[in-house]
Amino acid sequence: MTTVATPPASGSKAPSPLSAGPSTRRRRMGSIGFRIFTYAALLLIVVPAAWVLLGVLFKAAAHWRWDVLWTKLTPAGGGLRDQILGTLILMVGVLIIAGTIGVLAGIHLSEMAPIRKNGKRSGGFLRTSSDVLAGFPSIVLGYVGYTAFVVGLHWGYSLPAALIILSIMVVPYIAKTTENSLRQVPTGYREGAEALGMTMGYSLRKVVLKSAAPGIVTGLLLAMAIACGETAPLIYTAGFANTLPHTLTHAQFPYLTYVVFTFYDQPNVQLHYLSYDAALILIVIVLLLLVLSRMLVARTQRHAEGARTRTRTPRSPRRPKDGDPNSGGVDLAGVAARF
Amino acid sequence: MTSVEGAAGAPAPVAPSGQPVRPEPFLRRVGTFFRNNEEHGWRWGSRVAVYLPLAALIFAVAILAHKAWPAIRVNGWQFFYGKNWTYGQSYGAVVHTDGVAHAAGSEFGAWPIVAGTIQSSVIALIIAVPLSIGAAFALTERLPGWITRPLGFAIEILAGVPSVVIGLWGLLTFGPWLAQHIYPTLADIAGWFPDVEPFSFFRGPTGAGEGLLTAGIVLGMMIIPIIASTTRDLFMSVPPLPKEGGEALGMTNWEVANRITLPWVRSGIIGASVLGLGRALGETIAVALVGGASLRLAPNIYQPFGTIAATILTQLEGALTDGTGFAVATLAELALVLAVISVAVNLASRWIVARTSRVGAPVGGA
Amino acid sequence: MTKLMRATRLTRGAVAAVAACLALSSVVLSTAASASTKLPSSGVETPSGGTLTETGSTLLYPLFNLWAGGYNEKFTSVNVQTAGTGSGTGISDAENNTVDIGASDAYLSPSVATSNPDLTNIPLAISSQIVAYNVPGVLSHLKLTGKVLSEIYQGTVTKWNASQIANLNPGVTLPNIPIVTLHRSDSSGDTFLFTTYLSKTDASGWGTKIGFNTTVPWPAAPGALGESGNSGMVTGCKATPGCIAYVGISYLTQALQAGLGYASLQNAKGQYELPTQAAIAAEAASFVKKTPANGTISLIYGSANGGYPIINYEYAIVSTHQSSSSTAKSIRSFLEWAINPKDGAGASYLAQVNFQQLPSKVEAQSVKQILAIQ
Repeated sequence: MTTVATPPASGSKAPSPLSAGPSTRRRRMGSIGFRIFTYAALLLIVVPAAWVLLGVLFKAAAHWRWDVLWTKLTPAGGGLRDQILGTLILMVGVLIIAGTIGVLAGIHLSEMAPIRKNGKRSGGFLRTSSDVLAGFPSIVLGYVGYTAFVVGLHWGYSLPAALIILSIMVVPYIAKTTENSLRQVPTGYREGAEALGMTMGYSLRKVVLKSAAPGIVTGLLLAMAIACGETAPLIYTAGFANTLPHTLTHAQFPYLTYVVFTFYDQPNVQLHYLSYDAALILIVIVLLLLVLSRMLVARTQRHAEGARTRTRTPRSPRRPKDGDPNSGGVDLAGVAARF
Repeated sequence: MTSVEGAAGAPAPVAPSGQPVRPEPFLRRVGTFFRNNEEHGWRWGSRVAVYLPLAALIFAVAILAHKAWPAIRVNGWQFFYGKNWTYGQSYGAVVHTDGVAHAAGSEFGAWPIVAGTIQSSVIALIIAVPLSIGAAFALTERLPGWITRPLGFAIEILAGVPSVVIGLWGLLTFGPWLAQHIYPTLADIAGWFPDVEPFSFFRGPTGAGEGLLTAGIVLGMMIIPIIASTTRDLFMSVPPLPKEGGEALGMTNWEVANRITLPWVRSGIIGASVLGLGRALGETIAVALVGGASLRLAPNIYQPFGTIAATILTQLEGALTDGTGFAVATLAELALVLAVISVAVNLASRWIVARTSRVGAPVGGA
Repeated sequence: MTKLMRATRLTRGAVAAVAACLALSSVVLSTAASASTKLPSSGVETPSGGTLTETGSTLLYPLFNLWAGGYNEKFTSVNVQTAGTGSGTGISDAENNTVDIGASDAYLSPSVATSNPDLTNIPLAISSQIVAYNVPGVLSHLKLTGKVLSEIYQGTVTKWNASQIANLNPGVTLPNIPIVTLHRSDSSGDTFLFTTYLSKTDASGWGTKIGFNTTVPWPAAPGALGESGNSGMVTGCKATPGCIAYVGISYLTQALQAGLGYASLQNAKGQYELPTQAAIAAEAASFVKKTPANGTISLIYGSANGGYPIINYEYAIVSTHQSSSSTAKSIRSFLEWAINPKDGAGASYLAQVNFQQLPSKVEAQSVKQILAIQ
C-alpha cells in the first residue's frame, strides 16, 4: 500500500504559506469564508431535494385516497391501478430483456474478452460504445423507436416497442455494474475453482457470478429505477392508455410517468390530484429500490472485507483509477450519473 | 456469499465418462448436454450481448440519418445559424426544393434551439459544479458520519427522483416561487449595473417562472448528484499524508483544499462535470415542463426558451400535421445533431479523464 | 341596444326552431344514408368486440375519456383506449394505421388529404375558444375585434387604455398598464383556431404576414410570453396582470376560478358576442349548409346573426379502409354512438367539457361518413 507523499506537480508550484503570503488575517477570513461556503453549498443541495420530496408528499397527501392503488382510471378521476401495474410490467420486462443482455455483456467485458499483452482485457471499443449509448439522449431513442417500431414495423403504440427502447437505454448501466462487480471478485476464487478441476462455465456460474451477485443485483435494481422513472422515450412508443391492453401490438400501454406529465394540464381537477398521486407512487417505488440496493451494497462490503482478509490481494486486469468516474461502486448517484 | 470453502464443498462437475448402466432419462440427457456445452453457451451468449449496445447505437444513428436526409439537403448550413423556425402554411400549397416537398413558407433555423441548449446547460454547470465541490468538502472533511450519511443518502435520492417529478415540482411549485420571490430582486440588482450584455440579460419582465433560468436551476439540481457523488469519492481517495503535511506547514482549510486536495482530483472533477453536461444537454421532460417550450431565443434569462431535446418532444406532434413530412425530417435532423453532440461530449469526458489520470494523480490507498 | 338584443334573441329562437326541425328529420336522413351498411333504428350498430385505440387532440381527450367509459358500459365487449398526445399525432397515427381513431381539432391539411385519399375527417362535436384577460379593475366583458387582437399580438397596441380598445368599450375605465400577450409555445389546435380568426379578420395584416397554423412565428410584441398547455395559459395569465390569452372552452371553469375575464368578440355581422350556448349554436347553424360532405371547413368568423366567431368542429380522423371488417364495425359503432344525441352527444357528456352537439344535418353527414368505413 503505497502513498505518495508529494502532491502532484500542479499543487507544488504554490508558494509555501509560511513565506511571503497574504496576511494571516486575510488567510483566516478566507478559511472561514470557505467553511461557510461548503456548508451553504450542502444546504443549497439538500433543501431543494427535501423540498421536492416533501412538496410532492404534501400535495398528494392533501387529496390522497387509498383506492387510487386498486381502482381503474376513469374520466372523472378514479385510480391508477393499471398505470401502476403497467409501470411494474415495464420494470419486469426491462429486468428480463436488459438484465440478460447487460449481465452477459458485463461477463464478456470482465471474464471473456481476450487478455492483451499489456495484461488488460480487450474490448475497450465495445465498452466505450456501451458507455456512449448510456449517454445517448432518451428522447432521441424514443424518436428512433417511434420511427422504427411504431410506424416502420406497424406495431403501433405498444408494450414491445417501449420495452425495446427502455432496454436499450439501461443495458449499458447493467453491463457496467456487472463488469465492475465481477472485477471485484478476488482472483483467488477463480484460481481455486480452476485448481479444483471445475470447468470454466461451471466456475463462472457457481463461484464467480455467485460472489458478484449482490453487485449485479444492485445494478439491476437501479436499472429498474431508471426504467420506472422515464417518460420521454415512452410517450412516442407506449402511447398511453387508461387500462391495460389485451394484445401485445397495436395496443397503447399505461404507465405512471405519463400521468405526472400530462394530467396536471387537464380541465378536471380530480386528474390534477392524480398527477401528484402518480408522482408520489413513483418516488415510493424508487425509494424502495434505493433502500434495497443500499442494503445489498452494505452486505457486499461486509463480505468483501471478510474475503479480503482470507485471500490474497485482488488482481484486476484494469484497476479502477482515481479520477475515473466510472470506477465508482454501485450507488444510484453513480449509476444515474449515466457514467 | 459463497466463499472458497463453499465452492470446494460443491459437487465437482462430473464428466459423463462414468459408465451409465441404463440409458439416461431424457431430462438428464438434456441437463448433461447443457453442462457439457456450458462454456460455449456463456462464451457465445456474452459475445452476442456485448455487441448489442454497439448495434443499437449504429441502428439509432442510421435511422436518424435516413429520416433526416431530405432535411439535411434542403436546410443546408442555414439550419445552424438561421434564427427563424416556421412550419409555413401547412394548409397551403406544397413547394419543392431540390425535389424535396415542403410546406410553402417553411423555414427551419435551429440556432435559437441550439443556443438555448447551450445556455441552459452552462447555467446548470455554473450552479452545479461549485455547489457539488463545496458539498463534497463538507461531507468528506467536516461533518461527522451521523450527519453525512443521511445527507449523502438525500443526494442519492435526488438522483433517483424521476425527472418528470422534478419537472412537475419545478413547473407548479418552484418556478412560480422563484418568479415571485427571487427573480424580481435579481432584476432589480441587475438594474444597478450598466445596461450592457451580461447584465441586461438579467433585466426585464420576470415572467411566471417558466423559462431559461428556472430550467437552468432545475437542470443544475439534476446533475448535482452526478458531480457531487463523484467528487465525494474523489476527495476520499486523496491520501491523508499530503493534507496533513499541508496542515503541519500551517495552511488553513482553504489553502489545503485549494492547493492540495483540488489539484489532486481536478481531472476527475472535470470529467464528472463534462458527464453532467452531457446529461443536461439531453434532459428532455424536465426542460419541456419548466422551460416554456419556446422556439425563439429567450429575450432575457427569465423568459421561455427551448432546448433540442425538449423541442423534439414538444414539436413532433405539430410537425406531424405537415403532410409533406418535411417538418418531421427536420426534427430528425435536430435529433441527429443532439446525438452527435452527446456522443462528442461523452467521448471528450472519457478522453479528459483517461489522459489526465494516466499522468496525473497516483493511486492512493487500496 | 335593447332593440339589438331583442333582434338577436329572435334570431336565436328561429335558429333553435330550425334546429328542432332538422333533428326530427335526421333519423330519416341517416337511415337513408346507409347504402352499404344498414344502420339499426337505435342509430348505433352492435360491435363484435375488441379494442379500439385513440390518440390525438388534448382538447378532445377529456371527452373521449368520457365516451370510452360510457360506450363501454353499453357495449362491454369493446374496450376503447384513449391518449391525449396532440392533434398532429392523432392525424399521423391514423395515417400510419398505428391507431384506429385519431382525434384532431383541425381538419386534414390539403397535402395530407391528397397523399392519403383513404383518410376522412368526421365532425364529432363543436368546440369554441375564449379570449381571456387579467385586467385589474375591469369586471365586465370587454369587447374586442379580431383586428384589434391582431394589433395587440403584433405589438402595435401595447396599453390596455389604448384608443383602439377604449373606442370599442365606451364607459369602461381601462387601466394604463401594458398588455402582455400570451401564446401557446407548444404546437396546438388552439393556436390554429386563434390565428385563423386573426387571419380572417385582418387579412391584409396578420393574414399575409403570419398566417395560421398549429405553431406560428409570433411577432415580437413587447413582453410577449409563451405558455405550454391550456392550464399554462390560465395560470400564466393569472400571474401576469395585463395579460391576454386564448384558451379552449373546456378550460372556462378554470379561467373563471383564476379570476380571469373573457371577451365578447366581434363577429362578421359586427356584433359582439360571448361564447354562450346560443351564440355557438347560431354560428354553427350558419355553417350547416356550407359544410361539405367530407366535413372539411373552418367555422371561424362566420356570418351568423348573433354567432360567436371562434368555433370549430372537433374531428375523428379515420381510415375508410380498415384491415378487418370487425374492427371497421367497432369503429363505426363507437363513432355512431358518440355523435348520437341520445348517447355520446347528450348533454351529460358534452356539457362536462363545454362542447356542443353537431347541428342535426351535419350529424347526418357524419353518419354517412362513418358508414363509409369498411
